[in-house]
Amino acid sequence: MDAGKEIVRFEEMGLAYEDAPETLSDVTMTLREGEFRFLTGPSGAGKTSLLKMIYLAHRPTRGRFFLFEENATEAPREALPALRRRIGVVFQEFRLLDHLTAYENVALPMKVAGVNQNQYREDVSELLNWVGLGDRMDAKPPTLSGGEKQRVALARALVSKPDLILADEPTGNVDPAMGERIMKLFVELNKLGAAVIVATHDLHLVQSIGKPVLRIGEGRVTRSAGAGGAA
Amino acid sequence: MTQAEERDTEEETAALKAPRRGIFGRQTAPLLPEAGAAGAPLTAVIAVMSFLAVLAMASLLMVNRAASEWTSALRSEITVQVKGASAEEIESGVEAVLRVLRDTEGVLEANEKSREETAELLEPWLGDGNAQAFLNIPAIIEVKAAPSLRDNLDLLRNRIAAAAPTASLDDHARWHDRLSGAARSGQAMAFGVFLLVMGAACAISIFAARAGLAANHEIVSVLHLVGATDEFIAAEVQRRFFILGLRGALLGLFAALAALVVAGLAMRAGGGTDNFLPSLRLGGWMILWLAAAPVATCLVTAVTARLTVLKTLSQQY
Ligand SMILES: Nc1ncnc2c1ncn2[C@@H]1O[C@H](COP(=O)(O)OP(=O)(O)OP(=O)(O)O)[C@@H](O)[C@H]1O
Ligand SMILES: [Mg+2]
Repeated sequence: MDAGKEIVRFEEMGLAYEDAPETLSDVTMTLREGEFRFLTGPSGAGKTSLLKMIYLAHRPTRGRFFLFEENATEAPREALPALRRRIGVVFQEFRLLDHLTAYENVALPMKVAGVNQNQYREDVSELLNWVGLGDRMDAKPPTLSGGEKQRVALARALVSKPDLILADEPTGNVDPAMGERIMKLFVELNKLGAAVIVATHDLHLVQSIGKPVLRIGEGRVTRSAGAGGAA
Repeated sequence: MTQAEERDTEEETAALKAPRRGIFGRQTAPLLPEAGAAGAPLTAVIAVMSFLAVLAMASLLMVNRAASEWTSALRSEITVQVKGASAEEIESGVEAVLRVLRDTEGVLEANEKSREETAELLEPWLGDGNAQAFLNIPAIIEVKAAPSLRDNLDLLRNRIAAAAPTASLDDHARWHDRLSGAARSGQAMAFGVFLLVMGAACAISIFAARAGLAANHEIVSVLHLVGATDEFIAAEVQRRFFILGLRGALLGLFAALAALVVAGLAMRAGGGTDNFLPSLRLGGWMILWLAAAPVATCLVTAVTARLTVLKTLSQQY
C-alpha cells in the first residue's frame, strides 16, 4: 500500500447541500496512482456527490481534500483549470453541448486547453470510431440516442489522456455488450496508468471485472471486498 | 453478442484505419451557441448607441469647426468707429485715423465702410430713411490686421486716440470671448453626450453579458469542468460581443451618415445663410473621426462584456 502517488485523498470530509443534513459524512479515503475502484450504493446515496467533489464541481463543507497531492480545499480559483484538465469525467447526464457536433464535443477539452487542432484531430476521430460513432461525427447530440450520447461523453472524457478517469454510470444507457466493452476499456486504460473510479449500479459488471468496491450508504463510504479483491 | 464480439476483434485495426471524412479543413464552431434571438435586440441597441455616438461626434466636429471659423475671422478683424457732432467732424476724424493706419505696420487693409452700408445696417433700429439720424451716423473703418499687430494693439489704440479723440478702436475681444465660450460649452456638451452614450453602451453590455452567462449556465459550467479558464470563456464572450457590436456599430454609422447627409441637403435647400450655423460639410479626415465613434462603441461593448464575465465567474467555484 505504499506504492503509487496519491491521486485523491479525503480526510474527515463532509458534504452538506445548503441547510440539509450532510449527504456524506466523515469520508476518509485514498486513491493512488494505478488504482481502480467501483463506487456503488443505492440511488441517492451520494455517488455523484462524491465524484462532483473530486472533479471540482463542489467544495466539501468540511474536512480536507487533496487532489494530485495538492490541497484542493484551499487551492485558488486560478489553479483549478489545470487540475481539472488532468481528470476525464463521464457525467451521469452526459452534459454534452447541444450546439456542437459529436466531433466538436469530443474535441472540447483539447480546444479549451489551447491545443492545436492538428494535434488532436486524429485522436478525436479514432476515439469516435472506437465507440462506434465514426459515421456520426457531424451529428449534434439532440439527434443522438441515449447510448450514443453516452459514448460521445465517454470519448470526450478520454481524449485528453487524463491521469484520473471518473465515470458516473457510464454503462447505464448502452446494451450489455457495449457496457462490457466500455468497462474493459477502463481496465486497459487503468493498466496504462490512469486511476479510475466508476460509479455504477450494475453489480453484474462489477463482479465480472473484479476490482475493489467502495460502498456508499447512509452517508458513509465503506470498503467492501470487491468480487476479485485485488489491489 | 456476436455483433459486439465481431466489433471487438476488429476494433484495434478498425480504430487505426478508420476513414477520416470531412475532418480536414473543418471550421470549428464557436463554443458558445449563436446568440440567435438574443443577438438581434443587442445588435439593434448597439446600432442605436453607435448612431447617437456618431451624431454626438459630428456635432463636436461641427462646433469645433464653426468656432475656429468664427474666431479666426474675428481675430483678423478690427474696427475703428469715428463719432462726431457733424458730418465734417466725422470726415476729418476718419482722415486722421486712416493716416495713422497707413503708417502702422501690420495693417493689411483699411477701408471705410460706405455710409449707405452703415445706414442699411442701422435701418432696422432707426426706422426707414431717418435723415436726421443719418447725418450723425458714426463712420466705421474695417481693418484687416496681421497677427503681429493683433497681439500688440495698445500702441495703435493710443495713436488713434491722439489723432482723433472721437475715434474708438474695437478689437471684438468681447465677442471673441463670448463666441469661444459658447463654442467651449458646445464642445463640452457634445463630448458629454458622447460619454453618456458610451456609458449606456457599457451598461447594456454588462447587462447582456450577465444575462448571457445565466442563459448559458450549463455550457459555461461544462467548459469549466473540461478545464477552461475564466479568461478563455471571457475571450469567447468578448469575441461574440465584438462581432455583434461591429454589426450594430456599422448599421448605426450608416444610419447616422445618412441622417447627416439628409440634414445637410435640407439645410442647403432651406436657404443660403448657413454662415452662422455650423456647416454640415464633412472633410475626409472628419469621416475618420466619425468612424471612430462606432469603433469606440464596439470596443467598449466587447471589453465590458469580457470584464463582466471575468468578474461574474470569479465569484463561482
Ligand atoms: N445540488 C444539490 N442540491 C441539493 N441536494 C442535492 C444536490 N445534488 C444531490 N443532492 C442530494 O444529495 C443526495 C445524493 O445525491 P447523488 O446524486 O450524489 O446520489 P447518487 O448516489 O449519485 O444517486 P443515483 O444513483 O441516483 O445517481 C440525494 O439525496 C440528492 O437529493
Ligand atoms: Mg448519481
